[in-house]
This record gives sequence, C-alpha cells and structure tokens, in this order.
Amino acid sequence: MKTDVLIIGGGPAGLNAAIETASRGIKTIIIEESYALGGQLKQQTQFFNNLPKQFDRQRGIHLMRTLIDRLSPLPVTCLLKHKMIGVYKDGRIGIANDTETFPIDAKKVIVTTGAAEETDLFPGWTLPGVMTVGAAQILINRERVLPGKNALIVGLNSFSAEVTKQLKACGINILGVIDKNVSVNDKKLVDGLEDKKIRVMVNTVIERATGAGEVEKVTINNDGKKEDLDIDLICIGKGLSPILEPLEILDCEFGFQAKLGGLVPKYYSTLGTSNPSVYVAGNAAGITCLGGILVTAEIAALNALKALGVLNDNEAKISSSFLWDELRSMESEESIETFIARVAHIKEFHEECELPLPASFHAILEGC
Amino acid sequence: MDKSTIVCRCEEINVDEIEGAIRMGASTFDDIKRLTRCGMGPCQSKICMNLVRELIANNLGVSISEIPPPRMRMPLKITRLGILAGKTSSSNVVSVFDEASLEAGER
Repeated sequence: MKTDVLIIGGGPAGLNAAIETASRGIKTIIIEESYALGGQLKQQTQFFNNLPKQFDRQRGIHLMRTLIDRLSPLPVTCLLKHKMIGVYKDGRIGIANDTETFPIDAKKVIVTTGAAEETDLFPGWTLPGVMTVGAAQILINRERVLPGKNALIVGLNSFSAEVTKQLKACGINILGVIDKNVSVNDKKLVDGLEDKKIRVMVNTVIERATGAGEVEKVTINNDGKKEDLDIDLICIGKGLSPILEPLEILDCEFGFQAKLGGLVPKYYSTLGTSNPSVYVAGNAAGITCLGGILVTAEIAALNALKALGVLNDNEAKISSSFLWDELRSMESEESIETFIARVAHIKEFHEECELPLPASFHAILEGC
Repeated sequence: MDKSTIVCRCEEINVDEIEGAIRMGASTFDDIKRLTRCGMGPCQSKICMNLVRELIANNLGVSISEIPPPRMRMPLKITRLGILAGKTSSSNVVSVFDEASLEAGER
C-alpha cells in the first residue's frame, strides 16, 4: 500500500489533519486502532467553547460527527481496527489487523496518537472500582453503565472537574474531590464544584483503599487529619501524558517539558520531528486543550503539504502565521503556560540543530 | 507508603521489589525490568512506566526528567504470531478443534 500522507490515530487531531491534506487532493490514509473514528471525542458530551473559527461551539460528540462528515467526501482511506506495530528496515510502516501484517509506504507520516491517562500509586489502587476519570466517563456516556454509587475523585483539573459533574448528574454521590497540592490555582474550578455542593479538599492524599474483592473503603489524609469514607468508586484524574511508542520506533528524539505532559518528541516550528518524514500533532505533541489539538493538526498537515510541494512557500507562510496566532489564542484561553512551554520546546530544538527560527516566529517569541 | 503496594499490575511487582532493584544499582526503567520483570506483561509498561520512573527519581534524589523511558520493542501492540508470520487465519480455538479432530483419526 502506498500513500502520500499516513496518519497514525483517528482522533480529533488525526481527523483534522486528514481534512487538511485530503481537501488538497493528497492521498491520505488514517490508521485507527479502535472500531470507529473520533478517539476520545466519542464520550465527550460536554460543550467546547474554545474551538478554531471553522467550528461552532459544540459538544465533543457533535464535533466528532462534524469532523467525520467533512472528511467523508474527501479522498481518504480510513483503516479501522488497524494498528501500527513497527517499522520495516526500509522505513515503511508496519500495520496489523486481525488477519494480516502489511507495510504502508508513506511519503509523510503524521503521528496523532493522543495521550494516556496517568494513574496514582496508593495501597489498593489495583482494586476493582478504582479507575481513571476517563474510564468512568466512557462507562457513563458510551457504555451507559454506572461505575458506582459513592465516589471519591483524586486530582483536580478541568477534565476531572467536568467528569465529576457528569457523574453527579448521573446520580452518583460524590464524597469529595481531593488534590495533593496545597492550593489550586484555578479558583473557577473549585467554585464550579462547590456550586454543585461537591466538597473540594486540597492538601489531601489517599492513605489506602481497601475492600474484599472490590474497593469499599478509603482512608484520606488531609494535612495529617485522617478520615475514612465508605465508597465503591475512586476516579483518578492525575492528568495525561503523550503516547510516544510510534514516535520512539520511528527514531524521533525526545525532550522533557513538564507543562506539556513530561516526555515530548522534539519538534520544529513546522511540527516536524527529528525524523524528516515524521510530523506530530495533537496531545502527542504536548498535552493541550481541544482547540490546541485541532490547530496543531492543521499546522502539521500544512507543513507536510509544503514538504510534498503541494503548497508554495508564500501560501504556507501566510497560513502558518495565521495558525500560530490561532494556537496562541486557543491555548491562552485555557492555560498560557502550555503555549509558552511549547514555544520554548521548539526554540530549544531549533538552537540544538542550529536552525534559525522562521521570521514569523520571532513575533511569537516576543509575545511570550 | 506500604512497601507491598503493587506498581506493575501485569507482573505483580511491588514497591519493595522495585526499591530492592534500585538498591542493587538499577537507575533506569530497563534496569528494573531486567531485574524484576516489571513492565514485561500484557500492557508492556504503558500503565506503570511513569510510576516506576517516579520511584527511581525519588529514591535516587534526581528529577524525573533524567529517567529515560523503557526501550520500545516491536511489535508495539499485542499481535498474534500467526499474523506476524503472514498466516491468513490464526485462531486458537480453531487449532484446538483441529488437534481434537486429528486425534479422533479424521485425517
């Protein structure tokens, strides 16, 4: 199988990148591990206000529909239930499904594998009934199964707060949202939960979770003060980290950026990695908001198109500075730190390679 | 933290076993893996990778940024050997039935 662009992962970033490349008539293949496109949008019933201008304010599940509808008339091959399992010596990508393994020869690869949720270490964390907030959201919104009746949420961030409200709306009793940090920067998050009569406790950790065969009791420690709670559900919202396996096997180099989720592939202002045929976008390029996921996908697709000779330098330059402005506005809406870390990450790699940053990027640097 | 707390749930490796490996000189995820089988189960360290990196960093008093991730090996995802080798069908269930029918003399 041959293609111009191969996209690894059919979530929001992969779909948006494919829309960009395929709408230019470029042969595009999307590899998607699960049974359907959409990635984590499949269970995101919450509204997203902060989206690029070509999208109206809408729920995640509707955005998934919007993206798939825009993609369907375009020359894209979507290989569902296919996974990337490796790379051949000659650089072709190894793909497997339920029945066979085969190579795909792609001129450019865009890695949009997204992110995985982090777990937390405490005695009893492997008991049934302990899961990530994302898993609980899949259960209520996709599987229509109540994961428990009395829940404790560990870790306060915008995603865990959103899922907490959704769990409460399903009738689950929330005994509290705890966070190990002494103070929470985002007062709006705390207020939003307390408005719904949900107890928020900072400087609090789990001592242990216990139960016979499943979680039944949890001991929390609030600054030395211990409290036992009867629960049957613990949801861990410790945050996300980029999924890097395909990038690692493609010989991409990595750097560390705490604000982007830890280990992140090194990339240029083009979102091209140290492997000249590989681009990265979405959460795999550093944890960001949905708007950031969609815009980075456009930036990566645009630069892949430029490298393929489909766009001329001037076209690419104009679109690129527009997209970087949009990315800054998307990311500053949620957390400007993400954008600053991203720009610092790019600058570091350009300096390491002694490659000057494009002129349009200097204005962005000054803005940070 | 209770030292019997499981870190790698696939291989059931606990905090004590990982800290023991660190005391023996392990300083990367791959060292821990070779000494304990941590991260060698079905999830291939997807769940425990950062838990283990954090334990190493805390025990050695360094930043987690200095602890490299484990070396990735192909195939990246669980894949049947038959599919890797190019066999068109490879179901365990079918092969069991095949053997049963062979034993029954249905050649």
